[in-house]
Formats: sequence, C-alpha cells, structure tokens
Amino acid sequence: VPSPRSPGALYPETKILSRNFGLDRAWTLEVARSRGAWRSFEKALRTMTPAQLTDEVKRSRLRGRGGAGFPTGVKWGFVPKDSPKPKHVVVNADESEPGTFKDRWLMEWDPHLVLEGAALAAWAVGASRIWIYVRGEYPLSIARLEGAIEEARRAGFLGDGILGTPFSCEAFVHPGAGAYICGEETGMLESLEGKRGHPRIKPPFPAVEGAFGCPTVINNVETLAHVPWIVEHGGAAFAAQGLAPDPKNPRAVGSAGTKLMGVSGSVRRPGVWEFEFGITVRELVEGYAQGALPGRRIKAVIPGGLSMPVLTEAELDLPMGFDELAAAGSGLGTACAIVMDDACDMVEASENIAHFFADESCGQCTPCREGCHWLEKIYRKINEGRGEPADLELLESLFPSIEGRTICALADAAVWPLRSILRKFRAEFEAKVAAAAPALVGGERG
Amino acid sequence: MTRITIDGRPVECRPGQTVIAAAKENGIGIPNYCWHPGLSIAGNCRICMVEVEGNKKPQIACKLLPTEGMSVLTQSALAKEAQRGTMEMLLVNHPLDCPICDQAGECILQDFAFAVGQGASRSTTEKTHGPKNVPFGSKIVYDSERCIKCTRCVRFTDEVTKTGELAMGNRSDHEIVVMTAKGEFTTGYAMNVIDLCPVGALTSRDFRFKSRLWFMDFTPSVCTSCARGCNVTIGARQGKFLRMAPRENPEVNRWWMCDAGRLDYAFVNSPTRLAQPMARDESGSWRETTWDDALDRAIALLASASRDATGRAGVLADGNATLEEMRLLQRMASRLGGAARFAARVGSDADGFLIVNEKGANAKGAERLGLERQRAPAPAAVLLIERDANLPASWREATGALVVFAADAAHLPSSARVAFPFGTWAERDGLLVNADGFVQEIARSPDAGPEGIVPALEILEDLIAGIDPAYEPAGRAGVLDEIRSLPAFAGARFPAERTAGAEAVR
Repeated sequence: VPSPRSPGALYPETKILSRNFGLDRAWTLEVARSRGAWRSFEKALRTMTPAQLTDEVKRSRLRGRGGAGFPTGVKWGFVPKDSPKPKHVVVNADESEPGTFKDRWLMEWDPHLVLEGAALAAWAVGASRIWIYVRGEYPLSIARLEGAIEEARRAGFLGDGILGTPFSCEAFVHPGAGAYICGEETGMLESLEGKRGHPRIKPPFPAVEGAFGCPTVINNVETLAHVPWIVEHGGAAFAAQGLAPDPKNPRAVGSAGTKLMGVSGSVRRPGVWEFEFGITVRELVEGYAQGALPGRRIKAVIPGGLSMPVLTEAELDLPMGFDELAAAGSGLGTACAIVMDDACDMVEASENIAHFFADESCGQCTPCREGCHWLEKIYRKINEGRGEPADLELLESLFPSIEGRTICALADAAVWPLRSILRKFRAEFEAKVAAAAPALVGGERG
Repeated sequence: MTRITIDGRPVECRPGQTVIAAAKENGIGIPNYCWHPGLSIAGNCRICMVEVEGNKKPQIACKLLPTEGMSVLTQSALAKEAQRGTMEMLLVNHPLDCPICDQAGECILQDFAFAVGQGASRSTTEKTHGPKNVPFGSKIVYDSERCIKCTRCVRFTDEVTKTGELAMGNRSDHEIVVMTAKGEFTTGYAMNVIDLCPVGALTSRDFRFKSRLWFMDFTPSVCTSCARGCNVTIGARQGKFLRMAPRENPEVNRWWMCDAGRLDYAFVNSPTRLAQPMARDESGSWRETTWDDALDRAIALLASASRDATGRAGVLADGNATLEEMRLLQRMASRLGGAARFAARVGSDADGFLIVNEKGANAKGAERLGLERQRAPAPAAVLLIERDANLPASWREATGALVVFAADAAHLPSSARVAFPFGTWAERDGLLVNADGFVQEIARSPDAGPEGIVPALEILEDLIAGIDPAYEPAGRAGVLDEIRSLPAFAGARFPAERTAGAEAVR
C-alpha cells in the first residue's frame, strides 16, 4: 500500500536500488561495502541453502523488471536440480528498449549491487558462470562492471571456493553489438554463443537448455539488483511494498516492491526515480518529470518503453503497476515512459515506431520480417501525403497477421503501440489521408 | 503412440513425431516451407499454422508435439486466416516473376499460394529489392528477391554437410543468404540446396533457362555414377537429358545426392551417340545398317569366333550393365565356350557419406550373378560398354571384340565388325544391386537419348538364339524369374513389378 501523504505532495521516492546513485565513487568496492554491498551474499552463502534463497525470492513476489514481469523465484525454480551440466546465470543488460535507461544507472552507479544480485542468483541455481550481456552502446556500464568484477574477485566474492565455501563462480562481461533483438532472452543466448541473434524456438526453455546447451537463468539487471535487499530484509518485507495482487484473482501476482521508473520525451525534467509501485502515470510525468515542455500539452504517453500500447492524456491517472496497466489495455513494460506532446504528429510518430521495429526485426519469421516493413511503408505513404482511406483498413487488417504469429515478441511489440495509436488517434490519420494531394495518392504502386 | 485427430481424422503419432510429420504421413496436407524432414526445425516461415482446439493462438504444426486426444484443425477459420496472412506476407515483396523463373511448375510457393493465398495483392507500395544473380560457387545462382528466408539451405550446410558455407546475412527485410567464404563450396553436395530451396531462389547454373518444367518428362531412376545408387528423378526433353535430382530413399541416399553424380550425364547427350546399328563394309569403313542385317552379321561372326582359338570366346560387360543384361551375357558366353566378365572403375574418392569407391553401378550384382571381375586388359568376343569410365580405350582395344554394344561411336574398338547402339542408363530398364546390396531399378526415360534403340535384352536373346537354335527367348520377365531363383539372390528384396516408372526399394 502506498505510503499516506498529504494532499498535493508528490508521491514519495524510495531509495533502495537507487540508494547509491550520485554518491562519490559509488561504483568502487570500498564505497559499496561501506553501504552494505555483498553482505547479503555472504549471509545467503553462510546461512541459506539455494532452495531457501529461491523460496525467499518466491515469497517476495519479485517480478522480472525487463518488461515481461515473470515471477523471478518461479523462474529460478525451473532450473533442474539434478542436471549434471554446468549452469549459467545470464544478466540481461542489453538495455535497448527506446526511452529506457534505468539499468544503465544501476550499472554505472552501483555495479556491485548488480553483481551481488547475480551472484545470489548463481548460488540459488548452482551456476558456476555469470554472463553479463551489456548493451554495446554503454561503454561506461561495461567499464564499471568489469572493474567491479575484478574487485569482487580480489575480495573473494567471485572465483574458486568463494568465502571459504565449496561454491565457485566466475563472472564475465559480454558487450553486445547493437541489435535490439539481442535483448530478447534467447536471441541474447545465441549472440552470447557467438551466433546471429535469432531468438530460439521454444521449447526447450532456457531453464533447461539455455546458454551453451546448459540450464540457464536469465534475469534483467534491475531484477537481480532487488535480490540483496530481499535477502537482507526477507521476502515478506519486499512483498509488503507496492501494489498487492487482486484478491479476486487467485493467479494474480501483483506488483511487489519498488521500481526504477523513467521519463523521456517532451517533458521538462527527464530522469529516473525509484518508487514503490502505485504512483500514477500522471504523478510520474507531470510531478517528477514536471510535465510537457513550455507551451505544450501532453497528448500521449507510452508507459514502458516503446513496446506497449499508448495511453491518452485522459488515461494518465492509472497506477504504474503490472496488472493495473494490463487491465487498461496497456502494460508496464520497462516502466520508462515516453511522453508525446500536442506538437507530435501521431502519423509521423507511427512511421518512426514502425521503422524502428522493421529495422530491428531479426528477419527470421515471415510475418515480422515482411509485415513490419509493410507497415512502415504504409505509414510513410500516408505521412508523405500519398495515403488513401483504404490504407487505414489495410493497416488494421495487417496487425492480426503479425501479432502472435512469430517465434518471439518483437512483432507483438511493434503491433501494440501502432495499433493503439491508430485507434486512439485515428482522426489524425483520416485528416492526413483526406489532405493527400490527389496527384500523389497511391504513388509508386508496386 | 499418441492418438490425436487432425480435421476429425484419427491419426497415430510415433514418440517424438511432430503433428506436421504425422499429417504428411497420413496424406493430410499442411503447407510448409522451412520444415524439411531431413533438417532441424526452424519454425520461421510460419505457414504451417494450425488450430489446436482450445487454443486461441494458432500453432506451427512443425514444432507441435501431439498430446493424447489433441484435436488439430487445419481448415478452421483460425488456421486458414493464419495461413492466408503469412502467405500474403511471403508474397508482398516476392517479385512474382514466375514466367521467367525456373522453379515455376515445381514451386511450393506457387502451390500453397494457390491453396491458401488470396487472388490479388493488397500492396500499394514499392517492393523491397535485393541482390539478384549472385553466384554461390560455380554451380549455384542465388536470387535474394525470390528467397523466402526459410534457411533450409543454411541448415543443410550446417547440419548435413557440416561445412557451413551458407549463412543468413543482414537483418529484417533485407536479410539474405550469403556465402561465408568467397569462391567454391568445400562440400561436394552443395547442389542439394537447389532441390531443398522451396522457391526459385537457388537455381542450378547447369539447368537454369534450359526448359520449362511442363515440357519435360520425369522418370524415377537410380544414379549410376557410383555403386551407392542414389535414387533420382531424370528430367529430359526431346532427346536431351536435362537434369537429375535426388529422390527420397531412407535406406540409400535419404534426400541427397552428390554434385558429381548429378552432373555426370554429358555422355548421355554426347553428339557421337550411336543411334543405328553399324557394320564394317569390305573396305573396313563403318556404315549404317539395319537391325536384321547387323544381327545376321553378328551371328555369323560369333559362330566363327566360338571356333577360333584366340581366347576371344568370353564376353566383357560394363559394370553398369543391368542384372538382366549380365544374365543374358552369361548365357551367351556359355554358348560361346567362354566366360562372362565385367569391368568397372574403382575410385579413391569415397567420403563416408554417399560416394563409394566402387564405380560399377552393378558390380555387386555382377558378383552375385557369378561374373568375374576383370582386373587387366584381356580378349573377349563381345563387348558391352555404356561408358568410357569403366572401360578405358586400352581395355576396349585389348578385347579384340568383333561384336560390340556401345552407347557412343567413339567407344568402338578397332577390332569391332558389328556395332549395336546401346542405351545409357537413362534409356534402359533393368535392375542394379548397389554397394549395400539393395536391388534397385533404373528406368527408361521416354525423352532421353536417341530414338529407336532396340533394348539390348532383345538383341542379346536374338543373338543367343542365332548361335543356339534350341534357345527359347523368355523376355525380361523370364530372365528376372531366373535371377530371383538364384541362391545368390535368396532373400533379396526386388522392386515391385513395374507398371509405370521405376520403383526403388524402400
């Protein structure tokens, strides 16, 4: 339950993941340890069995922070206990979602927190290797993580026989090379293995057959950064924060704990803050990000990255929570909102979105490879004043041939914002089609 | 066994068998591109989507493992719409250049577009363009615009030959197949990707632009380039052998054949093919004659040959001769007072996959019949030669043969007095025993080779009857009955009696 506050006051920030942001030399082991780093790891290693640790994370109701929101403890529980193969933890640090830069803050300011979380995951599943797959465009994150690994190894938190126990684990940083699709967990595994980042067809699932054919847990940076706090304070304390699950739905998990949330786009103060779940989209974009640029009004917000259905200004009082946004037909995604103001042409925005997904499609599945580009071409046609009324119907009829028809969710991620924009801002599309110059309509018919 | 229903029909699936494989085994058509029984499952083309009752999302049948009682619908509104949607995507950037595409007529993009696609395109925007006429080595040409990126060819070089010459390059809708190294394939099996390619993206430099499919005749047969006997389909038109491609046989060659065998047909189209019986006139020069005249002359020559003491009483057969031909040559040799032998080349290129060193396509059959393998040049009264490779010129000359069955006029030894045209393997019916002992059938392509060649079996029987008036010709069926009854063939599986076309042993 969100903390009570006085009317008009901003929704309170919390400082759990972000407690070291902005501190002098926060990324060094010395400062990090003075702030409690690696204490939870030592506690878990000495006092908790892997099963107890997994249970504690299950109890916390921690959900994946990469966008899909899968319960983390459940995911760890999928790793077979009896497999003779080595096991791997892969940290998804390929933060490529447009408008999203929360993991970057964690890696740059608090790499030891990320590493400690990953080491805890390794202990929980019995992994001997941690691979941190970092977006190639994040050189500082890469440097900070590499520095942290070196320090942690020297301090005995990584390596052979960690802290005098029989547990051994090494960590490595693997920089990506610029493909969005490598943030998809199985595309990431392929890339990590030195292959093309083509998402894998499932089953087998990574928990059984992941990196290098071995059982693998893949978690987002922020997800793992939560684990030390859960070990220190207990899963129940974590679960007590944020939004409780809907009691009417026995399968609901709710949105427990805190979350790094970001805002970019047409706002006065873009940034990243940490809140307990429950802050509304409006409090985030108008309160913390201080609203639209001078003279502008907010027109639309995509609440989490680019891959979620858009919210109109009238929908901004929804709380930032997994279930709450899903119920409203959108989604939390990465919880890094993209704000569009009244100067933003939604047809142009759509063309831009379609271009992004078309360009980033790995090319593997027909509906995504061909469909996303076809969408882009139609949006460009409308945008360039060559559109016809039939194009809007064509767009609508193409979405179902793309969504849910592919190996991974990239095609869905393309369809969701585009379809919601077309539906919620259809008048802008119709106006553009109506204003099309008759001589240009159609055009380059092929 | 897992029992499921497909479109209401009960189907039993073996453990591990996917729904698409079970459906195909039961004659239920589900469109497919990336799926191929000889390759791993890629699941990328998305055309094989079916409805599983109780599931709102269509599933790809190629990756769908059956569960007891599962009800699969291939014709439901959901399945059909999913297939239509994917087909529309497959065609939106496809050049639709069927009128100039070699694949037209055997293209499953055409077939399934007709089956599950829509009549007209809804695209009003420019198609995406990509590289065309890209050489992949010297034998294969790639057209990225026709390519549907199913990755069958890439998986072939990864999984079957494990040589990895092909890979997917670029991303999104400019994704293309690329060669990983400049120059030539290292595998000798690269041309299989042409057959694997479901569309006209990979074409054969050797075959392309030669003929429309519908003008050609297709005959199931067996490659005779080595004793593996890969099952093939011969494509021919108007006396020209135009191509061959592998035909599935799980026991012999699975779906594949080597490039060397595939391209080993120039001798069939040789400009010096013997089409008419020939005899030497008084001056010693060859002239064409009638079949009857040639027979009379040959009988007279053989009658005297059996009496002379030159050691030419024997008969020498090409190791590519059929069981039936070899059996008749044995009969003839016994009447000439000599032995029937065979000759065949032995190479050194066996690769542990398909190619074997034994080049006599019927060497095993010859040995089972009791023909001795000739290991050095030696005399013979009758020579039967299909191809130069098994019987080089020095061996032919050494026979001093008077009567010769030859496919090519260039192969006649100087001693020959009468020459009968001999059909190549593409023009004869008969049985061969491959290196592993499988009895397989070659069949006459109605469109390959010169017209009017009388089958050697008939001529051989006429010759034997000419030498031995007591001989009663029994025809091919009679010869086959005799072969079947031989102890060496006890337990052998013979192809079913042929009605039309050949059937290899499965």
